[in-house]
Amino acid sequence: MSRRILVVSLAALAACAPKRIHEEPILENGDRVQSPDAVVAMVQNQAAVDQANRMDRRDQIAAEALESCTPEICRAVTRGELMLGMSEVQVMAATRTTPEAWSIRRSGSATVMVPRSLSHAPRDGMGEVAMVQLRDDRVASYSYREAQGIRLVAAPQDASVEGRAASLADMLIREGDDLVARGDLDAALDRYDRASVLRADPIIDYRIATILDKQLRPVEALVRYRLFLHKLELERIEAVGDAYAKLADAIAHARERVIVLEQHSH
Amino acid sequence: MSRVSTSLSHTLVRIGLVAAIALAPAACGGKRVSRIDPNSVTDLSGRWNDTDSRLVANALIEQSLMAPWARIYAETHGGERPAVIVGEFRNRTMEHIPVGTFIRDLERAFVNSGAVRVVASADERQGVRAEREDQQEHARADTRARLGQELGARYMLQGELQAIEDQEGRERVVYYQVDATLVDLETNEKVWVGQHKIKKYIERSRLGW
Repeated sequence: MSRRILVVSLAALAACAPKRIHEEPILENGDRVQSPDAVVAMVQNQAAVDQANRMDRRDQIAAEALESCTPEICRAVTRGELMLGMSEVQVMAATRTTPEAWSIRRSGSATVMVPRSLSHAPRDGMGEVAMVQLRDDRVASYSYREAQGIRLVAAPQDASVEGRAASLADMLIREGDDLVARGDLDAALDRYDRASVLRADPIIDYRIATILDKQLRPVEALVRYRLFLHKLELERIEAVGDAYAKLADAIAHARERVIVLEQHSH
Repeated sequence: MSRVSTSLSHTLVRIGLVAAIALAPAACGGKRVSRIDPNSVTDLSGRWNDTDSRLVANALIEQSLMAPWARIYAETHGGERPAVIVGEFRNRTMEHIPVGTFIRDLERAFVNSGAVRVVASADERQGVRAEREDQQEHARADTRARLGQELGARYMLQGELQAIEDQEGRERVVYYQVDATLVDLETNEKVWVGQHKIKKYIERSRLGW
């Protein structure tokens, strides 16, 4: 009986004991760890060959681009900026790229160049290029990927500093409008405020005034309504466009709010 | 009485001699230092050591240089090599692990491969900038390093090291995992993720001190 108890308790002890690990070691004292120099040397050789080929191709493209360019386009290529009227090769030269960077589709006289990889889109001096459209082998329009969206350059004035600012202001206003629609008035005010620095447009002041009015900030709203009316007056004097006709409702509302807010402030 | 004292003194002298002979080798032993191959595996305590650092460096070097990110960048940028900055490597283990050893190995491999450009990290830059500022005032005009010519990195190398430990009696298993990531600084896109795992089984001897 006692022997049985002994056997059972020994078996129980064996069952409770931790399992031994039987794994063959893959590295032991005295072994050697290989140096990574062989891998580095292999990559080095390949990179040197690839780089030489690519640089050679790029130089070839640059030479081809500058061979038959007008002075303006030549200057743009040298500055590294896209320009309307450039050829496909000149686009590559201006963006310092090779055909490997682009996915090019042709249909009749139209050609579209888009980045092969969106995460490695080509850039020119102004920003990241989203798309280049060519008609009869000449750039008809091109676009940039900006923080606020896509900015299109379809006319020479779009490529100027003022054109870019106006385009960015448009994007900010659109973003602000979306935020107003979602009810985020603080964020919308921020976008309109930034847009007002880029473009002196009375309608931006009107939007800012309206938001301030909605946020129950009468003093600031009053200033903005007045600014809006003052700018319109200036536009009227300068006889630029039909601002009054287009903004009749806004003007009426602004005048009404000015009277109300002035009365409250007194 | 004198005979007893003489025999006692003889015994004492004998004990002294035996003790001196026994201790002599230990006294002569002292310290032994020898230069050994840095590539050799030398595991003493079972904690993180140079072998682990080298294994991690080798794995990350191979993984990062064989991955297509640098080639794709060069292809889409007319042969330009991507610039990388080494960011933070967090040690999330309880051990003191000098992560700088394998990071430097990785940096060295990047530079030597010729496929990647490496720019000085935030800490290293401070000294370089101070020197450049100093040159603007004190160096000869034609030898001054120009301001505003720093190369902006496109990718940042970040990573972390984690450990899991399991122990029972005389046996211990330590598992290390090193994760490295290359992040596009403009888009936050992870263009490469490298990983290396080390598992160690440590068994203390029954008669160990």
